[in-house]
Amino acid sequence: MQRKSLIKIKPKTYKDGEVVKVNFMVMHPMETGMRKDKKTGKIVPAQYINNVKFDYNGKVITTMNVWESLSANPVFTIYMKIDGPGELKVTFTENTGEVNETSTKIKPKG
Amino acid sequence: MQRRDFFKKLGCAAAVTAVIPMMSFAADAKKPAGPNEFSYEKALDIITGGKGAKASSIVSLKAPAIAENGAVVPITVEVESPMTKSDYVKTIHIFATKNNNARCASVHLTQANGKAMFAARIKLGSTQDVVALVEMSNGSFLTAKQSVKVTIGGCG
Repeated sequence: MQRKSLIKIKPKTYKDGEVVKVNFMVMHPMETGMRKDKKTGKIVPAQYINNVKFDYNGKVITTMNVWESLSANPVFTIYMKIDGPGELKVTFTENTGEVNETSTKIKPKG
Repeated sequence: MQRRDFFKKLGCAAAVTAVIPMMSFAADAKKPAGPNEFSYEKALDIITGGKGAKASSIVSLKAPAIAENGAVVPITVEVESPMTKSDYVKTIHIFATKNNNARCASVHLTQANGKAMFAARIKLGSTQDVVALVEMSNGSFLTAKQSVKVTIGGCG
């Protein structure tokens, strides 16, 4: 299933060599496997993101191992040093083995 | 005794013997265990290799003192580090000590980050401590802790 996801970089305009904030958000239920469905009474199976990888121009910046203790629709915030124009790609894997990815273009000014 | 009756009795006996152990098992497990239950002590032992970690002022953990909704608790971990090749933060671990699975996130950073920081929103089942465990490039472990009071739990 395709998940809605978004990468935001703050501030919007940045220079080469600057350290910027990267916000990565996903629309995801992050089921713990402990919650019961109120209508059927059955336990909802666990479904959560367990790995997030930040890739900048083919170089891995950050990898995260994540468990179900994260909130639904999680937001991950890290910092990143701008090193020339290129592409920031985020790949995230679910415990069911599903892989999704998003990317954004990096365009430093000046 | 007819053959039909014999089978009926046999079936009843089999059902009873099957049910008894199931009932005793249900009594033992009061709380439903999650798919990957993991205690904080166990995780700390495995990560630090039994050495333990010491509290440090370099690590700052920001979390609300009172969280109204345990399902969404924003936390921020910042570490004062130059993030150069010789001195950088390797990994930031976040634990919720009393959750069924204490592990929340393990973030592996590199020098390309420029600044050692991680922020996310976590779930807390009850009032408990949130712990940030930081692994530095020289192999030492630093930690910071904050207790969060939860009015409505966010798990299960």
